[in-house]
Formats: sequence, C-alpha cells, structure tokens
Amino acid sequence: MGPLVFQRGCQTRALHSTDAEVQTVSTAVSSTQTEPQDHVTEQLLQHEEPEPPGLRDFLRQVEDRVIKELVKNARSHAFDGYQVNWEDQSQLVSCRHRLQHPSAQERSLHVTSVSWSCTGSVIACAYGRIDEGDWGTEKSHVCTWNLDRRGLNPKQPDLVIDVPTTVTALSFHPNQPSLIAGGLYTGEVVVWDTSHTQDPVMAQTGMSADSHREPVYQVDWVPLQKRGEFGVLSASSGGRVLLWTLDPDQGGFVLSAGYALVRQQVPHSSRSNYKARGSSHVGVTALALSPWDSDIFLVGSEGGLLLKCSFSSQTLAAAPSEGQSVTLRAPAVFSFRPRNSPIHSIHCSPFHRNLFLSVGTDGLAHLHSLLQTNPLLSVRVSDSYVFDVRWSPTRPLVFAAATGQGVVQIFDLGRRSLRPAATIDQGGANQAATCLAFNSQNPHLLAVGKTDGTVNIWHLSADLTEQSPRETVQLELMAREVVGLHV
Amino acid sequence: MASEVEETLKRIEGQRGVVGTVVCNADGIPIRSSLDGVATAQYARLLRKLTVMAKSAVRDIDPQNDLTFLRLRSQKCEIMVGLENEFLVIVIQNLHQ
Repeated sequence: MGPLVFQRGCQTRALHSTDAEVQTVSTAVSSTQTEPQDHVTEQLLQHEEPEPPGLRDFLRQVEDRVIKELVKNARSHAFDGYQVNWEDQSQLVSCRHRLQHPSAQERSLHVTSVSWSCTGSVIACAYGRIDEGDWGTEKSHVCTWNLDRRGLNPKQPDLVIDVPTTVTALSFHPNQPSLIAGGLYTGEVVVWDTSHTQDPVMAQTGMSADSHREPVYQVDWVPLQKRGEFGVLSASSGGRVLLWTLDPDQGGFVLSAGYALVRQQVPHSSRSNYKARGSSHVGVTALALSPWDSDIFLVGSEGGLLLKCSFSSQTLAAAPSEGQSVTLRAPAVFSFRPRNSPIHSIHCSPFHRNLFLSVGTDGLAHLHSLLQTNPLLSVRVSDSYVFDVRWSPTRPLVFAAATGQGVVQIFDLGRRSLRPAATIDQGGANQAATCLAFNSQNPHLLAVGKTDGTVNIWHLSADLTEQSPRETVQLELMAREVVGLHV
Repeated sequence: MASEVEETLKRIEGQRGVVGTVVCNADGIPIRSSLDGVATAQYARLLRKLTVMAKSAVRDIDPQNDLTFLRLRSQKCEIMVGLENEFLVIVIQNLHQ
C-alpha cells in the first residue's frame, strides 16, 4: 500500500482590471517667490505699540527732578580730585628680602646688574667686580631667586649659573620667562635658558671676528621685524653696538646688524666745544631703547657723550673693518649736550615719548627731551657717582637713582622742591648701590644691587607707586618746555 | 507724531554729559532706550535689582518713607535712577572732559 496523498487547490475569484488614460486639456503657467524680507532686528522697544498706561504721567512727574539733578551734577565741584582707593595703603618703605649668594660673598664679588623676569616673580642678579683696573678674570655667577616661592631662602639662590668671567650686563627676555641675556667682561654675549639646569647656555657669541673685544656694558632685547621675535642688542666700550639674532639650529648668534661709533662721525651740536681727543672710538657705557619709536636708541659714552642713534641709518662707519660679516654703520643722528664725565645709565620715560633721564659720575640726573640738546632739568642726586637710574613704571613723574654712597634716592618731579621724595639707605656707607630695577608686574617692588654682594628687595609705599590724576598732564607740560617749541 | 514721551526723553538726553537713558516698567523690562539692545538689557536688569534693594532699605528704616532717587557715582560716570509709581528712568551722565 502506498503513502496517503491528498491534493488541495485554491483559486481567487476573477480579478477585474481595466485601463484608463488621462490627459490635460488646458495648461496655465504660474510661479511663486518670496520677497526679500526686511531685516527685522529684535527690538525690545516697539514704537508702534501703544504706550503703557501711566508712562506719560510718570515722565511728566519725574522729568523735573531728573533734569535738576543732572544740571546740579554738571556744575558741582564736589568730587573734583576725589579718588577712592580700595586697596590697603602702606606708608612705609620696607625691605622685604636681602638676597645673597654665600660663595660670591666670600670672594667679595659685587652685584653688577639685576633684572626681573617678565612674570615679575623671579629676580636675577649678576656678579663680578667693577673696580677699575681689575682684569675681570675672576669666575663669577648669575643667580636667580623666585620670590613667589614658599620656602624662599635668601641665602640660597634657586639657580646658580657659573660663568668664567665677570658678567657686566643682564637682561631677562620680555616674553619668555626662562631666557636671560648677559654681557661679559670679555666681550661675549650669552643667552642662558634657565629651564635647562644641566647646560643653561643656549647661545654664545664666542670669540669670533664679529664679537666685541671690550667689556659689554649693556644688553637689551629688541623686537625684530617679525612679530614676537626678539634680537639682542649689545653695547661695549669698544665703541660697537651690535644686533644679534638667535640661530636655533646652530645654537649660536648671527650678527644681523652692526654699528660703530667713531668720534669723527659724531654730529656736533652748534654749542658744544667738544674736542676730539684720544682714541677715535666712543666707548659706550650706557644704552637705552625707546619704547615709543622702534628706530631710535640712545647711547651714553665714557667720555660723557650722549647721542641719539637710529637703527636705520645708512651711513657707513669710518672704523677699520675687522673682518665682520656685516658692514658697520654709523648710527648717531643727534648729539645732546655732552658732560664732563662718563654716563652710567640712560632710561626713556614709559609715559612720554620725548623724555629720558641720564646719570653719570658727576652726581647729577639730567632730564632731556629728544628734541633739544640742552637738558630740561638737572637734579642733584648725590655728591658721588650715580650708577643707575630708572623711571617708575606706574608714576610718570617718579624716578629712582642708585648712588655710590649706597643710597637709593627716589625723586618726584611733581613736587615743588627737588629734594628726594624718599631715600632708601640700607647702611654700609662704603658699599655703592650699583644697579636697580623696578618690577613692572608688581610695581611696589624695587630691587637694588650693591657692591657688598647683596640684592635688596624693597617694598615701596603707596604714595610712591600710585598715580595721581594730574601726573600725565604735568609730565606733558614739562616736556613742552623745550626752547623754541611754540605750544 | 512725536509724542510727549519722546519730547520729554529728548529734553533729558539733551542735558550736558548725558550718555544715554533707559525707561523701564515695574518688572524691569525696558520700554524706551537710547542705548543699544545689549546695554539696555544690562542696565535695566542690574539697576532694577539695586533699586528694589535700595527701596526696601529705605522702607525698612521708616515705613512711611519711600525712595525717590538713586545715584551711583563711579570712576567713569554717574548713573541716576528716578522712580515713581511703577516705572523707573535710568540716566547715565559722564562729566570727564
């Protein structure tokens, strides 16, 4: 018998389908487009809206009172010269820290230069001996202290960099807190990078045909054409001012421009009887850059010459070529009234483009305008040498000068009498104060370096650091006293 | 049609040193202003808060007293607030030459 098999089937009912066609009989064309909408700014006020009730009455009532107050205010002298100060006022000048490096003290090294970092928290100082006749072959140091660090030990620097000879100039980079440029007694220019503790020397000019042969008395960072880049300008007593750029690949310096100051090429102002005598080069002992005009720099010499120089000068220098890689140019364009003694320091005012101060061995501080040869004002700072002068970064009329008697005198040009506004005396009359630097981030702090090897950090009182309302106006009036300038 | 409201505000703004005026209602919503939108909103919001606090201070001390005028003097300008009923008018005056 076989398997059972069933069979089933299904089927749908018949599907009805038909075809139909459609065709348009008539056509018409039409289109739509939005119109450009007027830009409707969201306004909180709609002038088409009806005024809220009571607004008119309100204004009617309040108008008189408000206008009366406005007029009274416009005429009132009640607040003239009224100044509020929300910060604590300190009336004293006090010494915050006395920083020393024991090894430098043992060898009686002097502090030759101090510089604050761009952040305002690190102070660097350079040691060496500045006595005349000393060959400066002593090894010296550059030390840094971080004042914001807890556990600051004034007798122990955070970083000590050993240098084979006396360091005569020091300057922190204006933007990068770890770079310091220094000038040495041998004429070399060095840049140290304090973040590399193993080998801090980042670049060095070495003893090449390009470098200085005489001590470098000033180094400064100069902004270059390319934004954000800086070069180092160095000035030495050999009469050369050289502009170096850092070569990151080779780790060295490249001489980018050179200027030589030769006596015959110094412009003679009509009134000076300055006779060229002695060696033909002009030994540079002071250098200042103008924060207002990047083309100008000021130079002071050991012979007392004070010159305005230009970076873009094209005149060739009359100095014999010593195989330098760039041709030397003569930069001097204008000569101020010369002094009888070496000029130790020049500083341009951060508040007025034409004013600068210069000090020298004659104990006077001269306030000059870039526009005339004679100084505007002469202030007797001390009976002995004056080694450094700096304008205050916050008060347009205040400047500080470091004297050979060890005293720092602070002058306020706004006062009637020209006696110092404050005198900072640490004691130790035989110890000269050789250098000083204001902290631009924290303007109350002033660092002073002395020949006894100490760096004192002073905290200035409020009246020396807080600007009063009329100061910039007074400074402007002083600057306008230039003879022949018709205001 | 320049309404009385506009005329009054123009007179106030024409005073010496006036930098701008803002009129707000009781809820701190600006109704008329001569400053731009952002500044208007800022002045209205902040000065409304201050006015409420000042008003409650005056009334706490003496319930029968009421705040009529508020002046704030700052380094750069003077801000004056006149009050009445539920509106306030804020005027900013700068007198430094």
